[in-house]
Amino acid sequence: MSPDAVAITGFIVLFALMLLRVPVGMAMGLVGVSGFAYLVGSGPALKLVGQTSMRTVTDYTFGVIPMFLLMGAFVTASGMSRELFRAANTFVGHRRGGLGIATIVACAGFAAISGSSVATAATFSTVAYPEMRRYKYPQSFATGVIAAGGTLGAMFPPSTVLAVYGIITEQDIGKLFIAGILPGILAVSMYIATVSIIGWLRPQFLPAGEPAGMAERLAAIRDIWAPLALFVFVIGGLYGGLFTPTEAGGMGAGGAFLIGVLRGRLTLPEIRASLLQATRTAAAVFTVLIGALLFGYFLTITQTPQKVTEFLTGLGVGSYGVLALIMLMYLVLGCLMDAMAMIILTVPIIFPVIKTLGFDPIWFGVIIVMTVELGLIHPPVGMNVFVIKSVIKDVNFATIFKGVLPFIITDLVRLIILIAFPIIALYLPTRM
Amino acid sequence: MNTERPAVMRNRMDRFIDAIEWVAAIFVGIVAVDIFLSVLLRYFFSTSIPDSYNFGQLLLGILIFWGIAATSYRGGHITVDLVWANVGPRRQRVIDVFATLVLLFVVTVQTYTLLDKVVATRNDNILTVDLHLPTWPFFAIAWAGDVSAVLLIAIRTWRLIFHPEDLHAGGPQAKAVE
Repeated sequence: MSPDAVAITGFIVLFALMLLRVPVGMAMGLVGVSGFAYLVGSGPALKLVGQTSMRTVTDYTFGVIPMFLLMGAFVTASGMSRELFRAANTFVGHRRGGLGIATIVACAGFAAISGSSVATAATFSTVAYPEMRRYKYPQSFATGVIAAGGTLGAMFPPSTVLAVYGIITEQDIGKLFIAGILPGILAVSMYIATVSIIGWLRPQFLPAGEPAGMAERLAAIRDIWAPLALFVFVIGGLYGGLFTPTEAGGMGAGGAFLIGVLRGRLTLPEIRASLLQATRTAAAVFTVLIGALLFGYFLTITQTPQKVTEFLTGLGVGSYGVLALIMLMYLVLGCLMDAMAMIILTVPIIFPVIKTLGFDPIWFGVIIVMTVELGLIHPPVGMNVFVIKSVIKDVNFATIFKGVLPFIITDLVRLIILIAFPIIALYLPTRM
Repeated sequence: MNTERPAVMRNRMDRFIDAIEWVAAIFVGIVAVDIFLSVLLRYFFSTSIPDSYNFGQLLLGILIFWGIAATSYRGGHITVDLVWANVGPRRQRVIDVFATLVLLFVVTVQTYTLLDKVVATRNDNILTVDLHLPTWPFFAIAWAGDVSAVLLIAIRTWRLIFHPEDLHAGGPQAKAVE
């Protein structure tokens, strides 16, 4: 077989294995090594397995992932989400749709210290949903706003998905984190606008909550010192060049642990649960990373990225036409697999195309993460929707997807804005 | 008696699996403490923990391989569940057995090739930068994690085929990552 035929066969087998629920990393590793063995020889292929596995798991830069996961686990266990929601609610809860806006703002604050979309969605399903239902918000809206708010976890630093993109493309993870801030703020603003428009169009749909007095507002602000301090400490240190991304993760984990223990929020069972949670997720992510690196050798030997680049740039649709095709592919893939799997599987192939077309790699990281995050809320996979459904038992999938629809439209508009104005993502990183 | 004995074995097995997961979890904590203290010492005392960077790397390797062992057993890997979620329980079980057998094959090959890496590191006498400690024992501990992964996946395969009720198979919502 020619290398091209081997590459095509490899992709077919890879997708078949993934559809048969073989772990994504293992399927990539198996196909990558088998293809490499077929083209180069089994001896060198087997050598790659041991060397790549050990090199990946002992790469200090990759330590950024377990460290930020641990920070997120401590933050979640410390219950900081309630304080954020309460603070946001005292300021905007009395407006029409105010509880929805408070959920979005609190999700953004929580995302900025937890780094996880799914954790954000799961947490606010227990924190914000009962409150919205108490004020007779429809189930579809209440769950939709939480699912959409959860996606902010991938935009605001420390985003695990952005970190993985940085590792695969060898981009500065610190710059990627910082690049997510302004697009994240844009996302929050546009989600708030969406809630306000829904409230304005259907006044009975989203009733106003009770107004809070000045004393209550001040008390709520006092309560959120911990998440604020943690965010400023970690991201400030990263932006100011005091820490490397891995160190920022370690300092964040240490800081979240100290704050949690000193405030009496982290007890021994919660510390244990946080350590286990971070371990499980880190192991799952590293398995995919090892598989992706092994698959990368197969891609190199078959020259797949170069051929894909030649094909796409030869279509004659211009650089933005190619970009549109890539975005479309990600939206379709979002129907099949989750964000992390999509990034790890496709970025090694797509990234050379992006570089050839002259797009900024940091900007593309933000764009791509935003696109794959859409997959977290659109049917049929929608991981955030699954998570919300697992927490809120009395709601069905169709109801959640209905509630999410206005936010999907908002996301598509935001994507167009960010493609039209790359400076939104690039302004802060260029000043580092 | 017949039902008690498997139950006792199951409990022992579960404790063994928990212990493996705990090894990984403890190392996550140690890596975090190592980084946290290193940064504090650097900025406040202008000093550093000897071999802090090397220890961070090597402990990371240990925690990941031991973590992969527990994650493989618990079915916590990132998977595409589109087909699995849309078929009946019998076919779900067939898919799970197939996927676990592939997993067992891949991790067994990985474990075999990693042993080569451990032996090569020992033969090359690779040392840490500051304390000049041999690095191969750390690699060996990490490799032991991969060996336990093979064992646990074999147990998972056995249970999937003969005692599926012993496994709390993770659906899509059970292994959210990003």
